[in-house]
Amino acid sequence: MTGISEQEFVRTCVRLTGFTEYDLYGTGMAGLFLGTARDQVGEDRFAVFWAALKKALDDPQGLKTLTPTHLEAARALTYLWYTGAWPRLAPAAHAELRRQQANTEFMAAPAAYTEGLVWRTFHGHPAGAKAPGFGTWAAKPPDVPATGEAQEEQAEEPAGAYRVGMEEPVALDEVPHDLLPAFRASRDIAPSEVPTARAPEADGAAQQQKEVRA
Amino acid sequence: MNGTAAAWDADRRRYDAIIVGAGWSGSLIAERLGAKGWQVLVLEAGNGGDETWEGHLDAVRTFHSAVAKVPNSPYRRNTAAPSPDVLDLAPVRDPEPGKPEFTANGYLVQQGALPYGTDYLRALGGTGMHWLGAVPRMHADDFGTDTDYGYGRDWPIGAEDLQRHYAEAERAMGVAGDADEQRKLGVVTDPDYVYPMHGIPQSHIDDYCQKRVGGHEIHDEVAGETYTINITGLPQARNSTPDPRYAGGAGYRPKGAVGLANYGERCVGNASCVPICPVQARSTPLRIQAGFSGSVTVATRSVVTRVLRGRGAYVRGVEYRTYGDPATPVSRSYTAEADVVVLAAHAIENARLLLFSELANGSDQVGRNLMDHPTMVAWGLTAEADGNIGPFRGPGHTSGWEEFRFGDARGTRAPFRIEIGNWGWGWANGAPMSNVATALGVGGDAAGEVRDKGIFGPELRRFLGSTIGRQLQLQCAVEQAADPENRVTIDPRKHRDAMGNPRPVIAYDLDEHTRKGVYAAYLVAGRIFAEMGAQNRTDFRPVGGLPPLGHFVYPTDDSVDGEVHLAYHGAGHGAGTHVMGADRSTSVVDSHQRTHDHPNLYAVGCGSMPSIGTSNPTVTMAALALRSAERIHQDLAELHGAVLPRPRTQKTEVPA
Repeated sequence: MTGISEQEFVRTCVRLTGFTEYDLYGTGMAGLFLGTARDQVGEDRFAVFWAALKKALDDPQGLKTLTPTHLEAARALTYLWYTGAWPRLAPAAHAELRRQQANTEFMAAPAAYTEGLVWRTFHGHPAGAKAPGFGTWAAKPPDVPATGEAQEEQAEEPAGAYRVGMEEPVALDEVPHDLLPAFRASRDIAPSEVPTARAPEADGAAQQQKEVRA
Repeated sequence: MNGTAAAWDADRRRYDAIIVGAGWSGSLIAERLGAKGWQVLVLEAGNGGDETWEGHLDAVRTFHSAVAKVPNSPYRRNTAAPSPDVLDLAPVRDPEPGKPEFTANGYLVQQGALPYGTDYLRALGGTGMHWLGAVPRMHADDFGTDTDYGYGRDWPIGAEDLQRHYAEAERAMGVAGDADEQRKLGVVTDPDYVYPMHGIPQSHIDDYCQKRVGGHEIHDEVAGETYTINITGLPQARNSTPDPRYAGGAGYRPKGAVGLANYGERCVGNASCVPICPVQARSTPLRIQAGFSGSVTVATRSVVTRVLRGRGAYVRGVEYRTYGDPATPVSRSYTAEADVVVLAAHAIENARLLLFSELANGSDQVGRNLMDHPTMVAWGLTAEADGNIGPFRGPGHTSGWEEFRFGDARGTRAPFRIEIGNWGWGWANGAPMSNVATALGVGGDAAGEVRDKGIFGPELRRFLGSTIGRQLQLQCAVEQAADPENRVTIDPRKHRDAMGNPRPVIAYDLDEHTRKGVYAAYLVAGRIFAEMGAQNRTDFRPVGGLPPLGHFVYPTDDSVDGEVHLAYHGAGHGAGTHVMGADRSTSVVDSHQRTHDHPNLYAVGCGSMPSIGTSNPTVTMAALALRSAERIHQDLAELHGAVLPRPRTQKTEVPA
């Protein structure tokens, strides 16, 4: 162990994931995820990354201050919490970290999948586990976002601390294509290898017309 | 069942019937013949294990740990009896014009213009272990498309001939459905029929779609027709609430889980029917096997290599090989003999066996007319103001729009059935995991550099909640007509599997009629999204030079570019490799699935179907199997004179 306690790990991950300490402990996965991330990034490099991450989270500019490789590591760690899987890293980050492991997505453990946070974001449950009961799918689900508790807890965070490459918050009625997945070209492409969607054709044309008029 | 037997227990024995394959067809026929007292040997190439509760739980865990949760993901790879896997196919980046845009690196050797994107499973229970459980019957119009609409092949029998067997199949599989709705569609004709169980509740997504566009008119440009759409519930082989009116008031007792006594549940909404139902509410052939009489022997890890010729036109039995460790296929050869041999090994496997055995091919149709339901999967985001629609809940789909399946438009374009998906953009995009990746920005850009855009923390949580909670996917299953050039062949000198059996060589393409159906479905899905105020996000244009699997460019008149990018997925509905017909010079089997050339050799399954309509084919396959079982019983009875065997009351244990 290189001095990162599970408690410290969870508290920092609260800010990366937007889920509360209670939620993260409740998955039972903190120890496994810390170990997985450390194994994947490499013991020494993880210690450096961890120090940089904590510094960035306390900076008004937030995660924008991370180096690209540390940013990718922070994304991978968040992906691990959300899906239970360690993703494929950007090849540039993989190279800079000089990782020994193959750069492919893998599930940390069967239980890591069923504890993924992504399902909770829309009040769902992991496919193939935690079944909600006969006929429940006919009921109207609770509305999203109902993330009040997380937002309240983190109300003191500076605005924009959690955005990289964007100034304004993401519009949910006009979702930018480059935050959404394109098609999965084949089934052996892991979720973390799915590229972002292309700009819609029609929108591009409309945009051009607007510019012409202006 | 009495446990599975070792291959050598069956060596050089004589049976009344040998059945090759322990999937739905093989299990149903074995169960029927066993109940009549016939000595039956079922040879399954793949592994068993899932008939025990421990084996089942192991498969569930294997599924949980899979990154790609594909239909075969819960099951171990088996080199001795390999299965095709959807993971075997990969698109080619920046493909050369006119060259295939894909590579295939698996069991199937693919040499066609387009990929055959359908898998199956060689294991005890067969592909029935990972199917969805959708069991809509075929419509009367589906049986005579050549005569009525000028495409495809006609059946020698019609929907009326199958009604009784459909009902039997629905009892055997345990089907939940609303018979009134199906009568309205015209696929159930008995005015008094009710399904064994009440319909599976329709999802909130279905309800949302009906509220938004129910009764609305949707124009199909390709057909030049306008349809008023309303949702129809899907009959499913999934445990629901038994209907006390069933069988004239006798009711129905649902079958529980296999391998765990006194355990069984209604569907609890695990939302993972494909590939595995953790509580086994979704029916599998193992349920049928659990009811095998003592005269049925099942041997797993027994790969039939060829059917053996007998006297005259008759066959005398099969040669099969057995193996120990599936990873190291050292095998031994055995033979078994029987009065009747039934091939029930999947359309492609049946064709492969017939071709290698050089049997039943007087018509030159063995292996030809390979079909599937090419499925155009469209995806959209419903209106933000409408909030969470509840994706990734319940069975894969519980309702569909059936309007595009029927009518004269079939003459113009292939018909299609629109499944309203309950599992978000899972199939199309790898959601919800891929949403996490693209929102974070992990994985790098096309050049391999770290992406500069992404979100974390509360913003990420809110963004995912909204953009996953509004995912709507429409799966449009298009009918593909029989085309003799879409075919399975073998090339034993070049392509063999690890055990030495010839691998199937596939040539596959979509004809113009089918492509037109895919295009029509693409336009219709777009109109439905627009009508409900959703953003259509469907886009099959290559990304970074990489086309989606099943990609093709379709010429159009009205678009600016004069063409549109389309793509289809395989539906897992392999069919049509030994089609039935009345004329032995143009078909392989008769309407009882008996080969024209060999009086005691049957080839059963979806391979016998001359056309597949727009219905998921399993229930039709099961109905055909039950019809064949009656015929085989009659054959055996005639062969044995008037002395019919008495059903055994006492079960005999077969040493495993």
